[in-house]
Amino acid sequence: MEDYPIIKEKNGKKHFFRFTMEERIQHIILALSVIILVLTGMPLKFHDLGWASFIYDLFGGIKGAPIVHKIAGTALLLVFFYHVVSLVRNIGRHYVAPMRREGRLGFVSFLKMLANLPLVPNLKDLRDIIDLMKYLFFITNKRPDGARFTWKEKFDYWAPFWGVFVIGITGLIMWHKEFASTFISGFIINFCLIAHSDEALLAALFLFIWHWYNVHFSLSVFPMGTVFLTGYLSEEMMVEEHYEQYVELMKQAGRESEILPPHGGDAHEEREGGLPS
Amino acid sequence: MKKKKYGRNLSPPLFLLLLLLGLALPASSIGADIGNCLLCHKYPGLSRIDAEGKMRLMYVNEEIFRTSVHAKVKCEGCHTDIKRIPHDPAKPVDCLVQCHIVEPSSEQKFSHKDVGDFLARSVHAKTDKDGNLKKYSEDLPDCKNCHDNPLYRPLAFYKTVRSGISEESLGRCRVCHKKDDFIFQFYNHITTRLHKSRSPLNIAQMCARCHDDKELVSRHGLKTRAFYSYGETFHGKAASFQDERIPDCLDCHVSKGKSVHEMLSHEDPKSAVNPANKAKICATDDCHPNASPRLATYETHPEFNLDKDPAQYYFTTFFIFLTGGTLLPLMLIMFLDMVRRLFPHAMLGRRK
Repeated sequence: MEDYPIIKEKNGKKHFFRFTMEERIQHIILALSVIILVLTGMPLKFHDLGWASFIYDLFGGIKGAPIVHKIAGTALLLVFFYHVVSLVRNIGRHYVAPMRREGRLGFVSFLKMLANLPLVPNLKDLRDIIDLMKYLFFITNKRPDGARFTWKEKFDYWAPFWGVFVIGITGLIMWHKEFASTFISGFIINFCLIAHSDEALLAALFLFIWHWYNVHFSLSVFPMGTVFLTGYLSEEMMVEEHYEQYVELMKQAGRESEILPPHGGDAHEEREGGLPS
Repeated sequence: MKKKKYGRNLSPPLFLLLLLLGLALPASSIGADIGNCLLCHKYPGLSRIDAEGKMRLMYVNEEIFRTSVHAKVKCEGCHTDIKRIPHDPAKPVDCLVQCHIVEPSSEQKFSHKDVGDFLARSVHAKTDKDGNLKKYSEDLPDCKNCHDNPLYRPLAFYKTVRSGISEESLGRCRVCHKKDDFIFQFYNHITTRLHKSRSPLNIAQMCARCHDDKELVSRHGLKTRAFYSYGETFHGKAASFQDERIPDCLDCHVSKGKSVHEMLSHEDPKSAVNPANKAKICATDDCHPNASPRLATYETHPEFNLDKDPAQYYFTTFFIFLTGGTLLPLMLIMFLDMVRRLFPHAMLGRRK
């Protein structure tokens, strides 16, 4: 893509392309709708606590908030649907079609292709988690060499993927309970409510604690990561989180000489015992 | 009007003082209080310690009383044992006595006696079919366990601007009716009777006084804490945010067109929530009109309780473990990461 150079230099600093405009727009819709859904949903789950009616009233109380919740839910489901359709289309266009052209398309090779997609968890992720433990428990100073998508990002992708699916289906059933009752029994809706609200609590905690910590609040990105807006990640963050891909991209660009040492690597040894850089 | 023997036990100076105070009262308050009870009961401090050692407040706030549903009933209408002033300790009011007002359509003296008959046929009756006192009959409600002389709650939610009495409507009344007192009273009375005088939350909280009492619930072999479990579905959640349109206890537990005093056990085949009738009450025009009868298997009083509903219990438990199992390890990693970043070069053991 001409508009998006892989490595962009600005003020003498390198930035690495990660997310297309289309992906960023999807993410913004996802993020905004989830925040609104949580704000208009959690007060219902915790209706007997003091803060519930305060937050609910911001969205129009019992008359307004359920409508806001349904609008946000619809937006989220639409973007989810769009995402799944474009995901299938992209896999078809960029993976299945070339395989068919080359006559390599079979059941096993298809599954292999799926398993090797960049966002699918693999053994490298397991090794990275083990390496992270070594780093966290002070066995080494070196952080794992992240690939294009680290295990954290895969987690951040598949957990909401599953969450939107479960919460979306159950939400639709509860929204159209009269219609749903023509093919499912009422007691199933009890299970839908439990799944909807408990999975939502899990998702909200997951996103606002874990995801926000990693992308905004962690010491290396605080106060805010900007890749979700600009689509570009700074060189330091590439070194810290995606070293494997970083080296690859630098080599592709023919800039081997400029490759920085890994985060916490040998270059920092002389600073031993000093304050964090 | 019975003659009162005023002042028999009062010393002349005190009597004189009370008389003067009585004359000093504004005319309107005397008009409503024919028995002149407010002569004493208007004093906010009027109270005493009863035989059980409880503080009893005898103060009557006239402003509040005049806007209550019983404003037109004289004090002696309910406190029938009081024949003279000052009086002996009054007996508790029996709501089923014949009141001193005349019911306008039949011109008979008005009474709540019929309500007593309804109650006697309901699941809340103190005696069983054979007339024997039920076990724990003292737990079962009297009138005043549910009714606390509520204030009028005029048709507020038909109007978008503000709550309270509509001046426009009052204007219409004034075309034919001359006395504002009468208009005010009947407007309030009719609008109150035409809709519920309490919000769904208020009704549910009232029932909860007994039906959420853990001991009482188990003593009577009931399966659930009704208010708590009501709050576990959207019905109760919406009610807690003051939704007026949401069903409260009475909307489902009373058959349409019947008196709420005729509350029946769900095991009674005539009960609206009997499994055989439940689908009908869920699918009423105001609620889920297009629902299939299968909707009625929805548990409207779910509880996280192994005995009551093992399937829901284990399903919820699964999510608790899923949440804990996901978040606790991630939060541990977060915590370790925060610590680790403070000491980026503090590797233990030998370096390469």
